[in-house]
Amino acid sequence: MRYLLKHFGLYAVAAWASLTLNFLLPRLMPGDPASAMFGRFKGQLQPEALAALREAFGFTNEPLLAQYVKYVSHMLRGDLGVSVAYFPAKVTTVIGTGLMWTLFLTGFAVVISFALGMLLGVYAAWRRGGYLDSILPPVLVLLGAFPYFWLAMIGLYFLGFVLDWFPLRHAYDDSISPGANWAFISSVIEHLCLPSIVIVVATLGGWMLGMRNTMIGVLSEDYITMAQAKGLSQRRIMFNYAARNALLPNITGFGMALGFVLSGSLLTEIVFSYPGQGYLLVQAVRNQDYPLMQGLFLTITLAVLGANWLVDIVYVWLDPRTRGR
Amino acid sequence: MAMRLMRRGVLAVLLLTAATSCGRARRGSASSAARRGVLTISEQQQASWIRNFNPLLAPGGVRWATTAGIYEPLLIYNTMKGEYVPWLSTSYSWSADNKKLTFTLRPHVLWSDGQPFRAADVAFTFALTRKHRALDLHNVWAYVSAVEARDDATVEISFNRPYVPSLFHLGQQPIVPEHIWKNIADPVTYPNENPVATGPFTEVTVFQNQVFELGRNPHYWQEGKPALTGLRFPAYPGNDQANLALIGGEADWAGNFVPDIDRVFVKRSPADYHYWFPLVAGTVLLYTNTTKAPFNDVRVRKAVSLAIDRAQIVKVAMYDYTRPSDGTGLCDAYARMRSESAVAAGDWVKHDVARAEQLLNEAGYPRGADGVRHGPDGAPLKLDVNVVTGWSDWVRAAQIITQNLKRAGVAASLKAHDFSAFFEKLQKGNFDLSMGWSVEGPTPYSFYVELMSSQTAKPVGELAATNWNRFTSAEADTLFREFEATNDPAVQRRLEDRMQMLFAENAPSIPLFPNPSWGEYSTAHFEGFPNRENPYAKLSPNNPPEYLLVLTELRPK
Repeated sequence: MRYLLKHFGLYAVAAWASLTLNFLLPRLMPGDPASAMFGRFKGQLQPEALAALREAFGFTNEPLLAQYVKYVSHMLRGDLGVSVAYFPAKVTTVIGTGLMWTLFLTGFAVVISFALGMLLGVYAAWRRGGYLDSILPPVLVLLGAFPYFWLAMIGLYFLGFVLDWFPLRHAYDDSISPGANWAFISSVIEHLCLPSIVIVVATLGGWMLGMRNTMIGVLSEDYITMAQAKGLSQRRIMFNYAARNALLPNITGFGMALGFVLSGSLLTEIVFSYPGQGYLLVQAVRNQDYPLMQGLFLTITLAVLGANWLVDIVYVWLDPRTRGR
Repeated sequence: MAMRLMRRGVLAVLLLTAATSCGRARRGSASSAARRGVLTISEQQQASWIRNFNPLLAPGGVRWATTAGIYEPLLIYNTMKGEYVPWLSTSYSWSADNKKLTFTLRPHVLWSDGQPFRAADVAFTFALTRKHRALDLHNVWAYVSAVEARDDATVEISFNRPYVPSLFHLGQQPIVPEHIWKNIADPVTYPNENPVATGPFTEVTVFQNQVFELGRNPHYWQEGKPALTGLRFPAYPGNDQANLALIGGEADWAGNFVPDIDRVFVKRSPADYHYWFPLVAGTVLLYTNTTKAPFNDVRVRKAVSLAIDRAQIVKVAMYDYTRPSDGTGLCDAYARMRSESAVAAGDWVKHDVARAEQLLNEAGYPRGADGVRHGPDGAPLKLDVNVVTGWSDWVRAAQIITQNLKRAGVAASLKAHDFSAFFEKLQKGNFDLSMGWSVEGPTPYSFYVELMSSQTAKPVGELAATNWNRFTSAEADTLFREFEATNDPAVQRRLEDRMQMLFAENAPSIPLFPNPSWGEYSTAHFEGFPNRENPYAKLSPNNPPEYLLVLTELRPK
């Protein structure tokens, strides 16, 4: 319990530090939101209207500390401000349009990738030197070396456009409205396939290699030899003893990956026109939309910290050796 | 145990996807919409839609059709015909001293909630833009002193100084209903989710984050129009995705830049897929910073222009969609007003490297021993050419320009920036050479005033809306002032000719090519689009309110 509380305190400090950085970083970027806004409406906006809009946005020339205090107090109330790029929608509304879909797509893809990677890693380590072990890791690592968006475009072109096996865009069919019916759910699953296949293919190599390596380390332990001597079945040893212990370091990595779910698949989302947070982040940066950028970075920060904290708790449960304290 | 569950879970998901993927008609949504008479349009690029139909905000920030399609203006300027089309107003007239503009409104026009459209609505709309300057997009209240409703069908606008070109902005202002908007506390942040308007499509029938649809106005003032049942807008986050939809037949009308369009788009369905790119969307110029050396010298500006191979830019960067500019810099929207003598005087847009070298030598920039030119102080002539990263056609053009300049002995280098940084440099005057666009408007005055007027030239370091080259000329200012005060077509023509000559003589910035107005369409389900054979209006959906002329003509096949 004390262990968890201590960790929680650490996370709170990390959260505060990243929120402060979150406030500072956009303001250090070159260019300023006023001219970015001007550019978006090129030819449609005169400087006087722009000056009035700036006031509406709340771009003041207050000292940085005053702005920071205002930022923190608003954030604690849940008021993330008004977006510049999507004026006059509130930042919470804008983020709301994409957050769930990003969580859904990337969360799903990361979980599948992890599960598949663990399984493949276990088998590769168990039969090390065999066909699975010699061919799959290099191939998967090679695929993982390609940038996500490139794989996404290749996948979209061949599997979607040429072969017409998968839909080309969006999270569900445009003619269906969201609801708790099978038509909608099946459409969502169908549109989920190609983007998640791309993400899984790109990330599988890392998980598989990681699991394989930790498995090989565990397989040399004495208790494995003892289990074999005691006559337990191969499958039982492989999963209940070796894999369970080899899983532990990978769970930490999984926690990190879960945290980065909200920022991870930016470009994949854009290639597939998936209505998630990736595009919002790109737009926010391009338009120097400070409030939206801060809001999005906040979600990412909280996700990473939250996922890590969750993993810490799970780790305590999984590994009895940490419970002693 | 956990492993087994995981394995089963993975298998289950794979089976589910296989089951649901089979036998589903995929390219269905656009054609099913077309069967209902709903036109699918690809214009704005967003990953998901935010519900905002406020016509008083800049068109780029609200949903397409809000400024024209849902709401309507008093007049619409038709670039292809060069005339104003009466819309919510049937006629307008200037007083003798050009300080009063009177609009006569169309009778029997109703708002979509059944209330009558009156002059009070027009006066109220302008009063809103006066009270909330953020809504006064074209800063009309700098020269307008009052907008009054004389009676239910007459609006009188009074000016504090004569400014005839303002008709373009005043006439094209979208009008909002007073009986709804007088109760809105803050019209700047009001999203207007359920618009009440006079346009052909005012009902928001579907609004999801991936797609939204607009339905017909039950009280539209044009009998039998619109022929379309509705408009549909799927969300595409970028040009690639929008082009993919166009090629796949998912969009009926678009205004995208498509590279190599004959091969990429038209070839897929030559019977149905068409495009038309009239060169009426302004001019792409190479802006020169005339506030400092070397570009404060007209000879250097002309020399740089002579060194550029525009034919190659048009062919390689612009896929032959356009042609090299002439010495007046005017695009084809002003074809009727082009002055032949000015074109002849502007011979510095031809590709003549020898003459460029001669001019540079004359201006005091001879070649040094290493082949690079240097100025009188001995410093080498180094110039940066600024362009936006990702705008591939401009980047290619800028690369060609840089190569051409190097051949002429200038140490030119290409600097690609992210849009915000690029635009800030342009606006503040922190550049040597920069690619840039021009302002579009009904007369050459609109083009030249943003390039040569001292009103628009701001000092270096201050954000300037236009006239990034910061060129001023006393004669130009006199011409502009005279143009603003006159309504006489003969006087206007004389002034326009003189403006063109001034530009051709002084070369304030370097015109490269007239910008095509992008428009693609598919006649698979709909007809009535303007094209080269029937240029009744501009095809592009990128320019409100002109696309309203097309929207009311389109009909299902």
